[in-house]
Amino acid sequence: MEEEDQHKVADLVKELVLRLLTRSPGAGAGGGGGDPPAAPPDPLRLQSSLRYAFRILSSRLTPSVAPDATALAESIKRRLATQGKSSQALSFADLYAKFASKTGPGSVNNKWAVLYLLKIVAEDRNSASNGLDFSGSLPNLDSFEAELGSKSRVLRDREGERNGWSNGVLLVAKDPENLRDLAFKEYANLVKEENEVSEEVLVRDVLYACQGIDGKYVKFGTIVDGYILSDLVKVPRATRTMVRKLCELGWLFRKVKGYISECMDRFPAEDVGTVGQAFCAALQDELSEYFKLLAVLEAQSMNPIPLVSETASSDNYLSLRRLSVWLAEPMVKMRLMAVLVDKCRVLRGGAMAGAIHLHAQHGDPLVHEFMRRLLTRVCSPLFEMVRSWVLEGELEDNFAELFIVGQPVKAESLWREGYRLHAGMLPSFISPSLAQRILRTGKSINFLRVCCEDRGWANAATEAASAAGTTTRRGSLGYGETEALESLVDEAAKRIDKHLLDVMYNRYKFKEHCLAIKQYLLLGQGDFVQYLMDIVWPELSEPANTISSFKLAGLLESAIRSSNAQYDDPEILDRLRVKMMPHGTGDRGWDVFSLHYDPRVPLDTIFTESVMAKYLKIFNFLWKLRRVEHALIGAWKTMKPNCITSHAFLKLQRAVKLQLLSTLRRCQVLWNEMNHFVTNLQYYIMFEVLEVSWSNFSNEIEAAKDLDDLLAAHDKYLNSIVEKSLLGERSQTLHKSLFVLFDLILRFRSHADRLYEGIYELQARTGNSSLPSRDKSKARKQKNDQSLEPGSLITDGRKALTQRAGDFLQNMRQDLDAISKEYTSLLEGFLSQLPVQQHVDLKFLLFRLEFTEFYSQSGLGK
Amino acid sequence: MDQEAARTARESLDLAFHMSNILDTGLDRHTLSVLIALCDLGVNPEALAAVVRELHREPSAPVPMPSSYQTQKQ
Repeated sequence: MEEEDQHKVADLVKELVLRLLTRSPGAGAGGGGGDPPAAPPDPLRLQSSLRYAFRILSSRLTPSVAPDATALAESIKRRLATQGKSSQALSFADLYAKFASKTGPGSVNNKWAVLYLLKIVAEDRNSASNGLDFSGSLPNLDSFEAELGSKSRVLRDREGERNGWSNGVLLVAKDPENLRDLAFKEYANLVKEENEVSEEVLVRDVLYACQGIDGKYVKFGTIVDGYILSDLVKVPRATRTMVRKLCELGWLFRKVKGYISECMDRFPAEDVGTVGQAFCAALQDELSEYFKLLAVLEAQSMNPIPLVSETASSDNYLSLRRLSVWLAEPMVKMRLMAVLVDKCRVLRGGAMAGAIHLHAQHGDPLVHEFMRRLLTRVCSPLFEMVRSWVLEGELEDNFAELFIVGQPVKAESLWREGYRLHAGMLPSFISPSLAQRILRTGKSINFLRVCCEDRGWANAATEAASAAGTTTRRGSLGYGETEALESLVDEAAKRIDKHLLDVMYNRYKFKEHCLAIKQYLLLGQGDFVQYLMDIVWPELSEPANTISSFKLAGLLESAIRSSNAQYDDPEILDRLRVKMMPHGTGDRGWDVFSLHYDPRVPLDTIFTESVMAKYLKIFNFLWKLRRVEHALIGAWKTMKPNCITSHAFLKLQRAVKLQLLSTLRRCQVLWNEMNHFVTNLQYYIMFEVLEVSWSNFSNEIEAAKDLDDLLAAHDKYLNSIVEKSLLGERSQTLHKSLFVLFDLILRFRSHADRLYEGIYELQARTGNSSLPSRDKSKARKQKNDQSLEPGSLITDGRKALTQRAGDFLQNMRQDLDAISKEYTSLLEGFLSQLPVQQHVDLKFLLFRLEFTEFYSQSGLGK
Repeated sequence: MDQEAARTARESLDLAFHMSNILDTGLDRHTLSVLIALCDLGVNPEALAAVVRELHREPSAPVPMPSSYQTQKQ
């Protein structure tokens, strides 16, 4: 390949020389391809020219400008423009643009070289035509000589000065007649007289001071807290002030340096934190930049300052004034660093990053750029932590620097209490809502990992990272890319939350469990509840300490088996338990019995103990309501008018019969009143409270985007049930009066039972004394007692019986009256309290209970 | 593809030739194409320019000593 290229080059050069030689006489005839065919040059000349060409080419001439085609084109254009050929300049620019746009095969690769060649050839021709300017071409010695010869030396010097040929070197010193020289000399003497110390020495001292080192004359004064020029040295006041101003840099440097070394010393022992370390490293880097500048300046300071010293040859000298120009920019930076150091001395982690960020809001581009560089370094550990938290759920925060704080908790409270935001560590460039999302995403991952033992989130995280355009590897985020961070967090949150909900819904069957809780704990499954109530009734009427929870569990089991609940998922049924609450003396089974649903991990995050306690409260209320309803139904079973009682009525003594009838009637009316109340309350609880809340909850489950939404929806659901079922804090009095009502109704039930037992007993007695058949005896009791039952004993007995019946009925009636009175007053109290409640749904309850405005009317009547 | 390449090459040469004319280099089309080829092969453009200049000037001046050029230029 090399060889081939060499050959090609040789061939091409030969061709070139041939071309050039054949048309060199007509050098001016540049233009068009239509060159007249010239006679081939003589071979001897051709040979020598060729050799010469190769020699030139093999020489190590290097281009004197850096290869940048665009810049070159620009300079050519500008040259043309300054020569007054603006139209040509424009067309050249146009051509160049087209030329540069040609890429791909067949185009010119080395565009810069071509341009450069053209430029030099053009310049050569220009100089050849006006024969003056030789800069940029190889000087042709003989012509140069000839030119020199043609002009006198003095003339050339003059001309040189005028044309600026001598590169601006002032030759005044060699001119004894120059007045300026004399003046300068005088000035130099003056300066020397005034200054005990030469400026070079001062400059060097200042440079030392800028590195925090005491110089020969400039020393750190602890009293003034800064570098000052020793008072013993005699220098003009202006110089003294300037030295002092320059040495501010030294003071700042000491401060920054001190902070860095302090941090470094503290590092292994105390927790400086990764952000603090990054800050120190960034400061250190800035300082090393500063050292580089100082090194250059120090090198320059070795050059003597002209005018003051005799040998005024160097131009890279360093005076105090020049130094102040050089140090202006480092001064700004150093001041900033010192301010930051002051600010950050007590801060750590995110708070430190936030504090530095506050300083980055600066209009000066220099400061802005500097702060940006610094912050990129400082924030990188922070962003790294955020990244690994969002994508891997790892809290790599050994020094508690991140704005997310984790604490060891049990699995069920991981979501609620495991992690929280630390507002103090939240840098201001991360908005609180973003922080919240960051927190939740990582929390979701941890929740999936710890509670759900799920691995699928890793895929979701990778997907999220690729969607956000970053990778899962380290260090892909930086300060100033808040949008990138935000999009990463959004993507990750979206996917991981979705995944979490999928896991919750599909693997852990959240919805099914919610429904099961509603069906069993909130007594939504009617047949099951009815059956359970039937079979546990006798058991629960026993004193609490005699009840075995195993037996109740068995009863629960049989209730499940004999209702539709048996078709439910066994896994769900498995979780349904009987729970006995701790009981005191005198408690009945009713007071301690409850159903419990075992949520298990991870659902116990949602169904926490407090949530389950609320469910228990609701269950107890509903269970009591059911019990009351059940009791009323049971009462109805006995009270229902049937032929037995109606027969009995016919045969009774008139007075007793009347009494009995009115008592029964009283009982029926009271029952009806109670039934109306309980049925409507039951209806309200079922349809206005439970089902409505459940339907809202179902909708919210569908709309939920993350676990927090789900939790909120569930809390709302539960709270609305609690509130509307009068179990809330505000409706405690109402709740109490409701329970008193319930107790009264239960008492009524026992009274009604007693009444009917009494009636049956009465019947049985009269029956026994008259006829073997109980039915008949009752029927014929009154009619036949005189004829069928002879003897005064019997008559006495019958009288006594009638007497007893009369008494019994009297008592019953009194009791019923008392109950009725109490009930009416209680119900009135309840109804009057009901509108006071804030909850709007309770209006419906009132409306149902008082559809005919019966109570308000009677209340008014009173 | 070859045609395309040839077209691009021709257009590039045209453009370069136009530029050369604007700059008044006095190079003809063929010479320019040779020079571009050399440039593309990595030959130092400054040296090439020197060759062009020297050979143009040759009839008026004898071959000078190249060794002196190097020292001077450096």
